[in-house]
Amino acid sequence: MKYETFEDLYSYEALNIAKNIIKDGESVVITKLKNKNIINIDCENSEKIFKELMNEALNQQCRIDLSKKNFKVSQMIITKALISALGEEPKNKKRGRK
Amino acid sequence: MTSKKPGKKNTAKNSLDLINIRWRKIKNKFIITNDFGYYLSLNQKEFNDLIYKNKVSEKLKEELISKGFIKTHMDFDDLFSRWKNSNSYLFWGPSLHILVTTLRCNHKCVYCQSQAVGISNDKTDMPTSIAKKSVDIAFYSTAPVLTFEFQGGEPLYNWETVSKAIKYIREKEKNSDKKINISIVSNFSVMDEKKAKFLMENEVSICTSLDGPEKLHNKNRIYTQANSYRETIKWLKYFNSMHDNQTNLSYRIFKPSALTTISCDSLKYHKEIIDEFVKNDLNTIFLRPLSPIGFAKKMWNKIGYDSKSFLKFYKDSLNYILSLNKKGIDIKEKTAIMLLNKILNAKDSGFVDLRCPCGAGIGQVAYNHNGDIYTCDEGRMVGWEGEDIFKIGTVKDSYKKIINSLTTRTCAITSNLENQFTCSRCAYRPYCGVCPVINYESQNDIWGNNLSSERCKIFMGIFDIIFELMEDPKNMEIFNSWVEDKKEITV
Repeated sequence: MKYETFEDLYSYEALNIAKNIIKDGESVVITKLKNKNIINIDCENSEKIFKELMNEALNQQCRIDLSKKNFKVSQMIITKALISALGEEPKNKKRGRK
Repeated sequence: MTSKKPGKKNTAKNSLDLINIRWRKIKNKFIITNDFGYYLSLNQKEFNDLIYKNKVSEKLKEELISKGFIKTHMDFDDLFSRWKNSNSYLFWGPSLHILVTTLRCNHKCVYCQSQAVGISNDKTDMPTSIAKKSVDIAFYSTAPVLTFEFQGGEPLYNWETVSKAIKYIREKEKNSDKKINISIVSNFSVMDEKKAKFLMENEVSICTSLDGPEKLHNKNRIYTQANSYRETIKWLKYFNSMHDNQTNLSYRIFKPSALTTISCDSLKYHKEIIDEFVKNDLNTIFLRPLSPIGFAKKMWNKIGYDSKSFLKFYKDSLNYILSLNKKGIDIKEKTAIMLLNKILNAKDSGFVDLRCPCGAGIGQVAYNHNGDIYTCDEGRMVGWEGEDIFKIGTVKDSYKKIINSLTTRTCAITSNLENQFTCSRCAYRPYCGVCPVINYESQNDIWGNNLSSERCKIFMGIFDIIFELMEDPKNMEIFNSWVEDKKEITV
């Protein structure tokens, strides 16, 4: 079975992550076109797998969208945690400027 | 330029410019929290007035201001200090270093996560050289306090490495400005006076497992060579007595502690389990739910349970513990202490699983018997099952390479609650954390989906229970006494 989804709704990234999470994901092939993603599912219960795929893709897309929205605060927390663990001071690009 | 109407300007001045708050309804109360870890409990009217009318009583307004809920009245010194306290782990590296000195064990516990092997299989004993290299790596950590935890299997089966590593740690401590804690998790089955004396002299804190009364304990912790319960109690009494009677010693003897793992058989016996702890002079009980990792995952149908069953057990247990406290009996619950420390004192409890990002690699490191290094002990167990995705290096690698590994960074990113769509807006976000290993094991995805995560339901439920109990001033008095001037708990 062949399905089409729009890239601005479900990104190629979200679909691919979802494919790797769901059961029977190995029967799913995703091809990226310009504004669309083509999903080919080659097995008997393709409709069930497609529904599971889209369910998981929705989770992943929500997370990806949130990561973009919270990018700054999220990066600050992670950078602080990793740099503190490494014991290095963050490089200040503006050092020396008044 | 356009001029505003006087009336309109006044309204804007009086309205409350709220920061981004998160809220949760618990029975007839609304808990609102902010990023600084402050919380307020509001009734329905107060909540409606705040959210819909944007106008509250003067008393509540003052409270909202003092707790940093109003944008225009923020005491940044206080708020930053509170945020820094509760997120202190962001300012240093891994403090918990777990050394898996052997996988040999004589117990066959029904929920065992540690992939123990038979006692004759000494191929899984950690050589002393690997233990020393692990200690060397740990000392590179930027953490001012290091906790070394000896685990197994049963670590006492590899006594040579354990004792030499302890001596080595104490030697290194002399030339270091770090504070060192050492602990050992043992089932006591191969403990003897010589080993016990060595551990006490080197200020090693002793932790064991006690699952409840004899029948329940022995059912969960199968030991065919002797009676597991009796061995445990015998040594608990010994260490308790040594702790209570220490005088004029050049070293400190710590009070022993015990962990309780709740299997489905334990769910019916909350009173009996707690009474067992009281009877054995243990003043802290840690009611840990089972994790679907390792052997427990394979046995889940037999020993597992859902979040609802565990939460009922936890609520009954906490209520019983509070009732004992009201009678003057000193017994506390460790999960509650850890959460209360975060909620009431903005204090990081040292529990690396409830952090943002989680402690994988940056809060704790697990050194396997063969020199492989993992993000955490749970990550090591996943590795044992054949998927080494949480391995962050080996003892041959440098500290920086381990911390900078792709796995460590991935775990930090995926466990950042700001990237989790249910967590980022959850009222308990300032106090909670996710575990990429449990997500991977239970949902096949390190990001996880908290909407269907049993772990999320359990913590959400525990927070609900605690906030609900905090409404009663008598409970609050007891909770405050549990977290007053307490040392950091490291688990």
